Order: sequence, then C-alpha cells, then structure tokens
Amino acid sequence: MTTIKVSTGVLTNVDGSSQFECRDTKVLCAVTGPVEPKARQELPTRLALEVVVRPAKGVPNTREKLMEDRLRAVLTPLIVCSKYPRQLCQITCQILEAGEDEGEFSQKELSCCINAAFLALIDAQLALHSFSSSVSLAVLKESGELVLNPTGDLLKVSLSAHTLALELTDGSKKVANVLLLDSNGDFTDAQLLKVLQVGEQGCLEQAQFMRNFLAAKITDEIVRTKVNDNGN
Amino acid sequence: MSTLIFPGDQLNIDSEQPTTLGPGLYFDPVTQEIGPTNAGVEVIANTKRGQTVYVDYDSKRYIPAVGDYVIGIIVGQFSDSYKVSLSSFSSSVTLSYMAFPNASKKNKPTLKVGDLVYARVCAAEKELEAEIECLDSTTGQDAGFGLLEGGIVIDVTLGFARHLLFDKDFPLLKILSSFTQFEVAIGVNGKIWVKCEEVKNTLACYRSIIDCQKTSVSEYKNTIKSHFKNIVDAAGGK
Amino acid sequence: MAKDIEISTSEAQFILEALKQNGRLDGRSFDQFRDVEISFGREYGDVTVKMGNTKVQCRISCQIAQPYEDRPFEGLFLISTESSPMAGPQFENGNNTGEDEVLCARIIEKAVRRSGALDVEGLCIVAGSKCWAVRADVHFLDCDGGFIDASCVAVMTALLHFKKPDISVLGDRVTVHPVDEREPVSLGILHIPICVTFSFFNPQDTEENIKGDSNSEIAIIDATLKEELLRDGTLTVTLNKNREVVQVSKAGGLPMDALSLMENCHKAYTITERLTEQILDVIKKDDAERNKYATLLSSENARET
Repeated sequence: MTTIKVSTGVLTNVDGSSQFECRDTKVLCAVTGPVEPKARQELPTRLALEVVVRPAKGVPNTREKLMEDRLRAVLTPLIVCSKYPRQLCQITCQILEAGEDEGEFSQKELSCCINAAFLALIDAQLALHSFSSSVSLAVLKESGELVLNPTGDLLKVSLSAHTLALELTDGSKKVANVLLLDSNGDFTDAQLLKVLQVGEQGCLEQAQFMRNFLAAKITDEIVRTKVNDNGN
Repeated sequence: MSTLIFPGDQLNIDSEQPTTLGPGLYFDPVTQEIGPTNAGVEVIANTKRGQTVYVDYDSKRYIPAVGDYVIGIIVGQFSDSYKVSLSSFSSSVTLSYMAFPNASKKNKPTLKVGDLVYARVCAAEKELEAEIECLDSTTGQDAGFGLLEGGIVIDVTLGFARHLLFDKDFPLLKILSSFTQFEVAIGVNGKIWVKCEEVKNTLACYRSIIDCQKTSVSEYKNTIKSHFKNIVDAAGGK
Repeated sequence: MAKDIEISTSEAQFILEALKQNGRLDGRSFDQFRDVEISFGREYGDVTVKMGNTKVQCRISCQIAQPYEDRPFEGLFLISTESSPMAGPQFENGNNTGEDEVLCARIIEKAVRRSGALDVEGLCIVAGSKCWAVRADVHFLDCDGGFIDASCVAVMTALLHFKKPDISVLGDRVTVHPVDEREPVSLGILHIPICVTFSFFNPQDTEENIKGDSNSEIAIIDATLKEELLRDGTLTVTLNKNREVVQVSKAGGLPMDALSLMENCHKAYTITERLTEQILDVIKKDDAERNKYATLLSSENARET
C-alpha cells in the first residue's frame, strides 16, 4: 500500500480537523458544525455545506472552485443532512503541499482533500451514513502501466489521470457506491475498468488503515480516562 | 463488552428484540435500516422492555438534548425570554422568564446580557430552537439552577464533561478538593465553571483541568500538585 | 477578528482580576513571549510557525513577470494574507475587510515589504522587461492570538529559506535552469524584522493621558485569543537585530506616553534578538540536513592560486 500519514484533532478552534498526507501531497482540513448559518445559506430541511478549498500557492480561482464542487458532491451523500435542518457545516481544506503541477493536474489534491475532509468529519463527529476512501490513479504514457497514487513526476508522463472515491459499508469492506470517478486524458473502456478495479483495491486497503488509526485513537482516549480502582 | 464501530458498519444487536436507539444511530426511513453514524464504542444495554443501543463518542460541539445540564451565556433579552448561547457559533436557545422558580407576570428574573447561567434543557427538537429552564419542572421548585456569579469557565470536550458529571469514581474533583475549596458547575455542553475564594486558586484549578484533559487519570495528582505549587511559588517570588 | 466569540462577564472580570494579581490564564509572566516552533516542509520556502496554539504557514513562490514601468530595476514582491474559517469560525472565507484583518495584513506588509527586508533590486533580470515576482502566501491555520507576530516570523523564515531557480541571460534571452540542473539561489535578505505585540488593559475605567503613580494600566506581551478579545489597546513594534525600529503601530485604544513606549521597545528588543538567532539557527540546521551529501558529491578543481 502507498504510504500515507494521517492525524486528526490537529487544530484547536474548530470542531474537527485532520491532516492527510499521501506521497508528496499534504492537505489540512477543518470542520465546524453544526453552527448557525447566514440567512442566505440556510436550507429549511437539511444541513447546508460550505466547502472551501485553498491552494498552497496563489489565490483560489476556477480550479479550486471545481475542486470544491467535486468535494461537495462527494460529501453531501455521506453526511446525514436531514439530521441537522437549518444548520450549517463549514468544511475548509488547505492544501499544504500540492505534489503535482498545479497548472495541469488536481487529481492528487482532490483525492487527499476528500480523505482529509472525511477524517475531519469523523473527528467533528457529524452524523455520517458510511465510510469513505479516495485514491488517485494514472495510466503511464510509454508502458501503459496503471499506477496507484502516482507521484507528481509520474503524472507528468501519464496518458490519463483519475480520482476515485468510494462509499464503504459493512466494516468498510463492502463497496456501497461510487461517489466520484473523475477522469482526465485519453483512455479506453478496458483501462477505465482496470482503474476501477485497482482503485477499489486501493480504497479498501486505505480504509482499513484509516479505521485502524481511528480505532487506536479512540482506544487511547478510553484508556486515558479509565479510572484505575487501586490508583487513587 | 465494548466494540468499536464506524459509520456504515453493521450493529451487533439482536434484531428480534424491541430496540431503543440512543445517540450516534440513525434509522433510515427509506430502507428501514438502523446504522451507526459516528465513530465510537458501541454500547448495548438490556432493559426490561428490550435493548438500548447507542454509540459512545467524544466531540467538541454540543447539540441540545432534553434533560442535559448545561452552562450558557445570556446573549440577548426579549420581552418574555432570554436568548442563551450554549456554545459559540451554534444556534442560540430560549430561556423563558417563566422558567424560573417563583416566577410570575410581575416577578421577573434579573439576568443581564453576558451573565452565566446553569440550566436544564427542557425541549430540543431538531427543527426548532431548543429551550432551557432554571427550575425543576416537576415540582416548580428551585433545583440549584440559575445565575453563576464570578469564577471562570473552562472549555473541555463533551466526553470529558460527561466523565466529570456522571462518573462517580472520576478522581479529578476529589483531588482538586484536597488542595482548595471551590464551587463547581458542570455543563455537558463542554463547559465547566469553577470559583474559589482566591483568584490564584481559581487559576490553578483552571490550568489543572485543562492539563488533565490531556493526561491519563493516574497522572492527575502530579499535574494538579505542580500547578498549585507553581501558584505558591509565584506568590512567594513577588 | 473574533467578534462573535462569546465571553461572559464573569470570565472577563476574572481575567482582569487575575492580571491585577500578576497572573495570566496560561501561567506566563507579562513579558513572556510564547515559545516559537519553526518547521519546514518538503520544498524550499515552506515554513510553519507554531506559538502555543497559534499556527501559521507561509509559502513562498516565484515566477517571471514584467516589472512596473516606473520601477524598471526592481522585481515584484507580494504578501497575501487571507483568512479562512480554518483558523476559527469567526473568520469568513474570502472576506478580509474586517478591521482587524486589514490591520494585520497592513502591519505585516509594512514590517516586511516596505521596510525593504527583501532586496527587490536583486530580483531584476532584464531591466524594464523581465523580473522575478516573489509571492508570499500566509495561511492562518489556527488562531490563539498573536497572528501578526507569528506571521512575521513565518514570512521572514520562509524568505530566508526559499531558493529560486538559477537563470542565465544572453542578450534578451533568459534561460531558467531547472533545480536538478543547477543549484537554485537564495533571495537577498537585507535585515530580519521581528514584530512584538503588546496588549494593554485598564482595570479602572478612568483613562489617563499623563500616567501618574495612580496609573494601574497593565501591559502584556503576546496575548492569547481571550486576552486579545478583552484588551483595551494594542501596540505592535517591529525591530531588527541592528536596534533599528522598523515600524510602530498603535491604532487607537488606550493612550500611552513616551516613556512606556521606550520601555516596551527595550523589552521587544530582547525578544527580537532571541528570535532572530533562533530563525538563523533553524535555517542553518535545515540547510545542513538538506545538503548532507553536498560535500561528498562536490567536485572542485584543485587549482593553484
């Protein structure tokens, strides 16, 4: 599996936060909610989402807007929005290290944003329907080889680049739905199927890693606040 | 027995028995299925009428639930009620003038904007503004609620506040009381109010509680001891 | 900043009362600056500064641009400070028109850019047509007061750390050499300004222009978020190691007299000295770490001089 680094609860002023690092891409995400929305954001029956993606360098432009839109599309079906009517949830992703040529690609950043946002939502303990996991993939130009979570250099010599996000249930072992499959470049039907296949495997492995991390964190918390009978 | 559970997982409940759902669970009206919505410990308790299941998890933002003891700040005043904030940026809740002991049309409470108040949540519907009260609604009598004067509020996680309030063996307050006398009010909205006779002791309590959140229970004694020692040292050095 | 955080009257009174008795919530003394933690990212010019719970990241980037017509020999330098709800829900995304946000951005701009900390003439490539445009993006990640002080350290450390690709000029043709081809070059830094912010409290309601013995105003260094919310006045002084006052900013609030201004500057100088040393030290250490193998790989011609 690709080496990923995760941590949650890294910020103090927001309700949930996480940092997700996959190869040379690093994203920090903060979640606050449910809070009182501004009048124009309020939805009468559901939770409103305010999704913000901020680039590592420069001002946010259309590229970040597109990422925000994708991220919102992935997160909306995950969150139990009907549980928080007339409320707002702010999700802010700050890309710390892009790890790809920002002029051409956004696949790696998007997949890291999805993972970071999901972990931050878990940390904020907003009600979620299921687990989710996302990976990026690339088909290389010369060899036609399919790479899971490619590096920025490999993306540059790729024929097509993909971001896949899956919804997982039953111990995060079963794929319930494809939340996002965003592909760019030239590819064939067969290649896309392969992307789905390899991506699914990658997502499932990554989900187990994230579960283990979260489980360790919760267990830690329980052990820490456990009252020792003979201690005091 | 405790199992960790994550959103999307299957619950380990006996589906034949009638089940009461607690926090962290969701009943899908379309698929008629029950599933966990939060990451935490799955707790199943057998009761007379079947089983109760909930997910025990820690978080930072409070969502009002009936019966909770909370600490709020008065942020607004209307002709018949106060607007109270239970946590910054959350929707405010209502505290009616009639929800005080011995309240009548003429006898109005005298709280001001900015005051701290200890109260109980008496109505919480997700679509509506929650309501809190400062009396025991079964008897209409005073029940220790009302204005909290002076002191300091410490923000803690909701789980920690619940430990302090419900866990009778939780040693933090016991240890604190061996160092100083203090008044305390614990709100499950993650706010702890502490007041001592002397400012320096309150300061030591403040720092102790904040630090104890991050240390294990066995370390509490040393943490608290060092904070009280620092206070004495600072006073001596002056 | 942070207008919407609710603080109860009791809490406000308690913090003031504690200050009167020489105590701060976090146990620091009045003149104590929080410990500054500086860490670097993978690339050059990526710096994260932590002061207590305050966390700021600065990212330097550069590209080739056209210089201003009236300044053909100078490169461009821009500092962008935009707040987002990441630092706390009190900040609005993309809305930097709040008084505190503007003030914060202006002070950093004045302290770093207008004080000439970066040698902009060194960014010139071809006079009048090509120059480097250096951009510093300051990201506020977590807010517990002291944004100005932390941002200034972050920007200066990042500028010192950053390396731009080497170029060669042949007539009007400019070649940019990729980093793996030629060793990138550092920016020209002329001095390191350090901001120190003082917060003033007036436990009594009377305001005094001439501070007599009865004056009971309290000055503290490096306030936390709660202290910032309650303060009656603020002063930011920017100094460098050469004992030069780069700027003094005092926008409203309690009046102050010349003597206490002098006194505060002296206090700020000791902090400036210490921070400058720390910055140079971490830069040196990081450089050594990155160039571990440089001495092994370098080949020099043994040449008689």
